[in-house]
Amino acid sequence: MGADGAPSQSVPWRKVLWERQPFPDNYVDQRFLEELRRNEGIRQYRYWAVVKEAGFVGQQLSCVAVFITLWLYMEQGLLAPEVLLWTSLSCAMLGYGLHQALTSQAESGCETRTHLADLQSAALFLSFTFGFSPVLKTLTESVSTDTVYAMSAVMLLAHLVSFPYGKPSPPGSLSLNAALFASVCLASRLPGALHTFAMLTCALLVFALWPCLLQRLRENAPCQFTGVCVGVCVGGVGGLASQSLGGAVLFSLALVSVTLLCPLLLIWLQRHKDNIQGPWDEAEIHEDLSNFLH
Amino acid sequence: MEDEAFTDISGKPITLDCQSHSSFCREFTVSSPKVSIGKVMVYTCSVWLVAYSVFFFTQNTAVLSSAIIVTLVGMMLYIHFVKVDHESLLVIGSLGLQVSSTYASGREVTTFIEMDKIRDIVINEAIYMHQIIYYLCVLMKDQSEPNGVSGVVPLFQSSKPRLSCLVKVYKSCQEVVSRCQ
Amino acid sequence: MGQRRKVGAVKAPSSQRDSADASGAHSRKHSICMVSDFFYPNMGGVESHIYQLSQCLIEKGHKVVIATHSYGRRTGIRYLTNGLKVYYLPLQVMYNQSTATTCFHSLPLLRCVFVREQITVVHAHSSFSAMAHDSLFHAKTMGLNTVFTDHSLFGFADVSSVLTNKLLTISLCDTNHIVCVSYTSKENTVLRAALNPEIVSVIPNAVDPTDFTPDPSQRQDDRITIVVISRLVYRKGIDLLGGIIPELCLKHPDLHFLIGGEGPKRLVLEEVREKYQLHDRVRLLGALEHKDVRGVLVQGHIFLNTSLTEAFCMAIVEGASCGLQVVSTRVGGIPEVLPEDLITLCEPTVRSLCDGLEKVIAKQRSASVPPPGSVHTRVRSLYTWRNVAERTEKVYDRVAGEEVLPLAKRFRRLKSHCGPVAGTIFAFVAILDFLFLLLLQWLVPDRAMDVAVDATGPGGLWRQKTGKRSETESKRATKQAAETKTQTQ
Repeated sequence: MGADGAPSQSVPWRKVLWERQPFPDNYVDQRFLEELRRNEGIRQYRYWAVVKEAGFVGQQLSCVAVFITLWLYMEQGLLAPEVLLWTSLSCAMLGYGLHQALTSQAESGCETRTHLADLQSAALFLSFTFGFSPVLKTLTESVSTDTVYAMSAVMLLAHLVSFPYGKPSPPGSLSLNAALFASVCLASRLPGALHTFAMLTCALLVFALWPCLLQRLRENAPCQFTGVCVGVCVGGVGGLASQSLGGAVLFSLALVSVTLLCPLLLIWLQRHKDNIQGPWDEAEIHEDLSNFLH
Repeated sequence: MEDEAFTDISGKPITLDCQSHSSFCREFTVSSPKVSIGKVMVYTCSVWLVAYSVFFFTQNTAVLSSAIIVTLVGMMLYIHFVKVDHESLLVIGSLGLQVSSTYASGREVTTFIEMDKIRDIVINEAIYMHQIIYYLCVLMKDQSEPNGVSGVVPLFQSSKPRLSCLVKVYKSCQEVVSRCQ
Repeated sequence: MGQRRKVGAVKAPSSQRDSADASGAHSRKHSICMVSDFFYPNMGGVESHIYQLSQCLIEKGHKVVIATHSYGRRTGIRYLTNGLKVYYLPLQVMYNQSTATTCFHSLPLLRCVFVREQITVVHAHSSFSAMAHDSLFHAKTMGLNTVFTDHSLFGFADVSSVLTNKLLTISLCDTNHIVCVSYTSKENTVLRAALNPEIVSVIPNAVDPTDFTPDPSQRQDDRITIVVISRLVYRKGIDLLGGIIPELCLKHPDLHFLIGGEGPKRLVLEEVREKYQLHDRVRLLGALEHKDVRGVLVQGHIFLNTSLTEAFCMAIVEGASCGLQVVSTRVGGIPEVLPEDLITLCEPTVRSLCDGLEKVIAKQRSASVPPPGSVHTRVRSLYTWRNVAERTEKVYDRVAGEEVLPLAKRFRRLKSHCGPVAGTIFAFVAILDFLFLLLLQWLVPDRAMDVAVDATGPGGLWRQKTGKRSETESKRATKQAAETKTQTQ
């Protein structure tokens, strides 16, 4: 049993502790680490599939770009608030129709919300925003413009970072709140109360309702979804280009790196993955044990 | 009685003087070296150098005078309250222990522990600053409980002699104490 | 004087002189310092391992001291049974009874312990203990031989284990020898710390067989009792237990559960008990003291262990030693612990565990299980602390002949084993540690430190004292001042 005893080859070594074996304590058998498994259940990614998924990230980036473009137009007076308001409303109607169509096309089992309820909440939101827009307009008056811009930039970034790209759900509360906070900040720098109202309505459309519609699209019409993503990206780049050419170039570079280079990097790094598993791993409970309790 | 040379826990030399007044009365005196004049000079010089450099930049004479006061007061406090020259332990078999420390200024602090309050004298180990040291201590008897110990009074707290010295004192003490019980 | 301690009367140690003298002659004696954050009054597997191993090594004539951090007011130096000296060093506790590590602040005190006790081998325990890793680091700087015992299994997947594994690699790359408690644990440690498997020994834990004897008269024959003794935490698979209880209780009306232990998952069991109205059949005993464990075990017929990970499961050996039929999950080192006919191994699922339990229940009903007494006699000799101490002694003998890497070689080892970044950083830390040691040696030279009075080891005074009490009593009263604790393990 000693650390330096000579192993006799006549008896095979066994991986048991209860038996005193004629091997030293530090004996290393051929079977050492035979239960080691590498990269079990690894997912092999295909490049274009990853690009398709990454396109969604690019699409969300472009949404922010579109929103900023609209704001720039408003601030420079190139876009009248009425025009934006009517366009938003009609877009919302159109989108709502499409959403309904996609939902009924799939399954309408849990159809608890009626059109009336939707209309009610929309009206409620619009009237409240309209009522409060003068207040929101003057909300950040005492704060310096630089601070407001910096804050909006940080909040939009937070929106992009915390946006739930992976799981199909409406935008998470953190990302939605960050985006709305940024839009309130930006809207308060616009010339009039109506401008603020129009901007906020537009923000709601872009950050809250559009992702919902997109999610439906992603589930029910994947081909169209890709097209829409590309469309939004082109829109974002184009919008920025009409305001600042340098910004547009930088933005398109960012889009290319997110949608094309990052997947390439992922595929490349995948080769270096070395995940080891063995009997020492903590066992996982796969069953759903909650049914014993509830 | 000749003095014996020992060292304290940081390696500085100390002396132990054992006097046997009678078979049941012994006195042990641990003496640390006197305040060395070199050390005083170094401290004084460093305080004065600092004071002078501050004075050089501020041109305020109050700095110099306060440096003088600080040095004087500091030295006085040091020899009066910190620096212990001798620590002695007088064991009188039937009566008790007298523990006294003589400060460099001549001030003397004496405490007396009656024999019937003492349970034992032992050498113990303790963690002191970043060291682990031996020390001699008196175990006080717990009045309510015959075998209990209510407290510990460490001896030779300032000089902190090493084990060899402690063992000598300990053996001598035990001889006296055991003779009287 | 910084630390005053409670002083109690000395308890005469049991007469173990004969056995010590008998085994004393054959090999060289070591001065061993066991270092771990985990020690009495904390309770657990590591703590009892250190205590029992130390006691057996003392019996074999080695000198053993233990260094741990202070627990509450328990600071300073204490003596346990047979003169086992414990240093409770005042180091700050950070998380879960583990000390904070800065790599340096523990050096002065640990150096003091190593120098005054004339330590030759530093034996650190548990990879969760920062103090153990610190002591390994300092011991290597001071040129002492090092041994490390790993008591736990670790995964490789999450961030925290990646970090701890890296630290373990650094800590163990120049440690002389490593001890693991099972073959699975050895594989795990070799992978985690990128070690040469030749320097890793497998020495299992042990159970004191006299503490766990069967007593069938305590069983109630009109029912079948399943005993579970474990901390009620996720890692022990208590969620699985929560699934098993209703499933089996509905099928077998004479089935009772006896559950000892405390933890956050107690809620799950209480909910199950509430929902299925099993208050009379599922008894939750709460936290058990170690001495009460046997009393609970002997009441049962079947011992159930639902752990999700385990390096070496002491509980199943204790259960089997009390003559119970053992049903356990097949995880970690558990399949190595008991022979196939004494244990029923199941997959960690409710289904598989229920099947396993049903099989054993059926056997129990048909009375085709071996009697508790015969199970006990088989298990009794499997794992003994004496055997563990013998094998550990061999590790010490081997380690004592090895060289401790000098500074230059240590740097090269660190750089080649731990990667360019971490290796360089820790080589730098090692230099700083060395410089700090030089500073301390200049401040308090080794010769200015008193060599501690030996209580254990060759010529240990504790042992002499039992024989020549009157003579030694006048010579050393140090031990009188020490509080003697007899640990009930």
